[in-house]
Amino acid sequence: MGIRLYIEPKLQKPDLVASWPGIGNIGLIAADTLRRQIGGEELGEIEPWDFFYPRRVIIKDGILTDLEFPSNKFYYQRLAKKDLILFIGEEQPIDGGRVYAEGKKAYQIANLVLDVAERFGCQRVYTSGAAVALTRHTLKPRVWAVTSSESLIKEVKSYENTVLMSEIEGRGDWGSISGLNGLLLGLARKRGFEAICLMGEIPDYLSGAPFPYPRASKSVLEVLTNLLGIQISYDALDDWAAQMDEIIGGIYEKLPPDIKEKIEQRENVVRAKPEMITDEDKEWIKKHIDELFKKGGRGDDRAS
Amino acid sequence: MTELLKLSWQPQLQSPSLVVGWSGEGSTLGAKVTDYLNKKLGGQSFGEIEPTEFFPLAGVTIEDDLVQFPESKFYAFPKNDLVVLRSDPPSYDWYRFLTLILDIAETCQVKEILAIGGMVSLSAHTAPRQLLGTFNSPELKEALSSYNLDREMNYETPPGQRPTLNSFFLWVAKRRNIPGVSLWVPIPFYLLTVDDPRAEKRVLEFLNRRSDLGMDLTDLDEEIKKQNVKLARARESSPEIDEAIGRLESNLTLSPEENQKLIREIEKFLRGKGD
Repeated sequence: MGIRLYIEPKLQKPDLVASWPGIGNIGLIAADTLRRQIGGEELGEIEPWDFFYPRRVIIKDGILTDLEFPSNKFYYQRLAKKDLILFIGEEQPIDGGRVYAEGKKAYQIANLVLDVAERFGCQRVYTSGAAVALTRHTLKPRVWAVTSSESLIKEVKSYENTVLMSEIEGRGDWGSISGLNGLLLGLARKRGFEAICLMGEIPDYLSGAPFPYPRASKSVLEVLTNLLGIQISYDALDDWAAQMDEIIGGIYEKLPPDIKEKIEQRENVVRAKPEMITDEDKEWIKKHIDELFKKGGRGDDRAS
Repeated sequence: MTELLKLSWQPQLQSPSLVVGWSGEGSTLGAKVTDYLNKKLGGQSFGEIEPTEFFPLAGVTIEDDLVQFPESKFYAFPKNDLVVLRSDPPSYDWYRFLTLILDIAETCQVKEILAIGGMVSLSAHTAPRQLLGTFNSPELKEALSSYNLDREMNYETPPGQRPTLNSFFLWVAKRRNIPGVSLWVPIPFYLLTVDDPRAEKRVLEFLNRRSDLGMDLTDLDEEIKKQNVKLARARESSPEIDEAIGRLESNLTLSPEENQKLIREIEKFLRGKGD
């Protein structure tokens, strides 16, 4: 069980951005887009066999020549303002049909990621994921943030289009982040790193949909790139988001008018008058929209 | 040895082969072959892997009124210089589980691994059973060149599917420098969940020769004959079954619904409910 580094570049107090798949793959898409845009160089990997079942075997002329596992790679780049290490995990180590990683394996892999961060002198760790919100898909997703310390809370308040989780309407002052995107945050705090989780909003009625939600990834990236002091092109992400908008819009148009009306109210409600949607309404909408979107999504190949 | 490995005694063996049969993994073949070896050659259990870290253990399953519980037992055959593992496929921590098997293999100075697996065939049961081998070592492939074994398989896992546990096992064994072959018999899809004594015999004939076991397999011929009678009766009693199997014999395919129906009907007959 270990880490394999391909090279050991000298990095100046880099930040770490780590991500695994989750709802809408919001964090994963953000991290991978960032990697492509900054030309992230391969740094190393976590040996996968202790954590994952292989995903592909190649047999040639009767000889097992290769067994491929989900990739768990580190990348790095020296940026003008900050050096950066990226960790991108293609799968969460999930046992026994769970949705997210938890328990021993999750703890082990999160610690390995932080071992690399420590080795290169990282002080700050970013994770990213989805914030399931009572919003609608035509609104620009906000970014919810949680941090590992009071001092970071002050910093986060200055980010654009970002709200602290406790500021979300109707949430109160508690919440949870499932899987490794959350666990890493806790472990980072335990091991003395500064840690911030940036979560892109996804409407609750899309949270069970089997497709990505790049609009929210873009919101996360806008915050991250600002923090890292870099500019990137969003063209590819915008094109992807436009394709997804078309798919989601197509399904949305098929919804009964009364349900659409309830969702459309959110445009005004979520940001200004949260009291207009009751808990009962929320339950009702979620229940019915989930059913309808499942029906619409199944027949659409682009969405799978 | 870790506390997950329980050895009751250390068998005295020279340079045995390790035969691995999974109960599950798509067919009953692995379990049937290892059961046959145990029964015929008197295998003595000498160790097991504790299930606590590898199976959910959230209650038990019941099959045909019998309680099932995950088991991973090693059997020794000192007279035949053979080791057998009969095991349920683990639910978690596959790499660690496979590593434990190889720890035992090294303790027993195993020279090679012979892992058994069934694969789905869309052919009729009347077609001959092939035996295919995939290897983790070119040397073992060469060493088995005189065996009636198809050794030239080309395969890549299709999207959406995962490699078999035997492929993972061979890969782990290769890292430990233990040569191994995965032995595959394509089994007609409607016999996968019941038994296919012809497939069983095909594997046992190979093992008989490879490990010089000297087993008399005529009792399997009797089983094959009985099953053929039952299958013939099923065809006689149902024009639909006969037509479906006839199409498979002509290398035609059935629709998914027809496949499912054939599986159900054949299972009824072979389990004695269709007589």
